Amino acid sequence: MTEEPYRWLEAMANRREYVRDQLKGGSPVFAVSLPDGILLLGVGGGQSKVFELFDRHALAGLGHPADIEKVRQAAIDAAHLEAFTRAAEDVSLRRLISFGLSPQLKTQFDQIFSAPFLVELLLAELGAGPAQDSLFRLHFDGAFQVQAGGAVIAASQPEAESAGQSWLNEALRGKTSRPEVADVLLQGWWCQVQNKWLAESVPDQTQRQAGWREAVKGKTVEIGWLARQGLRPARYQAPTLSELGLA
Amino acid sequence: MSGTKIAGDFLSLLAEQKLLSSDSAPAGGAPVQTQATTVFAFHFAEGVLMAGDRRATAGNVIVTDRVEKIIEVDSTSLLAIAGVPATAFEMARVLQTSFEYYRRSQLQPLSLPARVRALARLLRDNLSMTLQGIGVVVPLFAGVDHSVSPAQARIYFYDPLGAQFQAAGYAASGSGSGTIRSILSFQERHASPKPSEMDLRQAVRFALSLLITASEFDSATGGVNPDTETFATIKLLKVSGVETITDQQQKEFLHD
Repeated sequence: MTEEPYRWLEAMANRREYVRDQLKGGSPVFAVSLPDGILLLGVGGGQSKVFELFDRHALAGLGHPADIEKVRQAAIDAAHLEAFTRAAEDVSLRRLISFGLSPQLKTQFDQIFSAPFLVELLLAELGAGPAQDSLFRLHFDGAFQVQAGGAVIAASQPEAESAGQSWLNEALRGKTSRPEVADVLLQGWWCQVQNKWLAESVPDQTQRQAGWREAVKGKTVEIGWLARQGLRPARYQAPTLSELGLA
Repeated sequence: MSGTKIAGDFLSLLAEQKLLSSDSAPAGGAPVQTQATTVFAFHFAEGVLMAGDRRATAGNVIVTDRVEKIIEVDSTSLLAIAGVPATAFEMARVLQTSFEYYRRSQLQPLSLPARVRALARLLRDNLSMTLQGIGVVVPLFAGVDHSVSPAQARIYFYDPLGAQFQAAGYAASGSGSGTIRSILSFQERHASPKPSEMDLRQAVRFALSLLITASEFDSATGGVNPDTETFATIKLLKVSGVETITDQQQKEFLHD
């Protein structure tokens, strides 16, 4: 009997290792708070990485498409029920994640006889200004971090994510236009998928730009834009690379 | 993380969560109901113009002259409500949430026929109230049909039981609708330009004239009076989306 807790701990560790292994090679996603709105970006197969959730809310994720879909659907259901029974202004990511998504992900991860969700997620909530924007980083085990404004990356491996996050914070400094920010994110995406962060030196900008342009061939760059200004309640748009002048 | 019974159907989700309101029979002696009149829509050169006065009445009492009866359901749909606002506003809210829910969850917009039927379904669900003479709603609906090329804005009108009809040129509802339909019919058949040939300025001026005339024959129609800052609600449905003609624009059009 004294072995049981250790078996459970071992099982949890094995599950964590299993999930990380399954997520290995997943294409990272990004979210950046800008003066005019929030930009989300991912590179995938089209409508598979970046999604609209509600009027001022969006999600980007990597992992198993079926698991991303389950989380996405649960978030959309909860947001619309909240908006209908109360008001659209009452839909908040803090409540949606703290009381909905996070506990469900944790429960699923802790139940060792069921399959865990293979997802790493980013969720964004548009505020009145960049300081009021909320960016949530939600993990497969239900753990989450929140930050007001700034930039966030979700990658499959913690070490690479941490290195990418540091580079991103530096590279985005002073950049506010959508095309130049999208360009930096794509450079970051290329470095991430090519494991350039952990190399001795990060390639220079010319190499990075040439790298992402070559690497996205045959893939779809998915961009989500939550516009701060707009006449309609729904602020989500999906501009293309061409519309941003990056094609 | 359970799914809905019908994918993308918000009413199924509400039913699953037991959040659908019941329409149990009311006790006798229901109060005098607030009524919203008058609304209409017609095709003009750039799309569909949908307009309504802003008056709500209860019996011989004017409840308000500031009610908005033309509601933007989403970027490609407009709803005009005539009848009991309590029921109509709830229908509008259900439609707004349903259409957006479907678009977001299914990653594609709901087709125009499905939108038209969604409103018919709400009217049918309101049947018991309608038969009791309480909560009657006779709306108009306009939406963009993307199944044809080029896409076209279309107008639909309903009976209180939920039957839906597509309007060829125009439709009107509410207590002032008789006057408005007569003028629209005359303009369509015997005058120039026909409503469908009017440019934006002509169409807005014509819409304001319709409401002013209707208010002369129907006390429940609020009309338009720049001196008291009383204007209509006018929205345009174009293939590119919905536009609102503001009070200031209406004032300018009237003074041209």
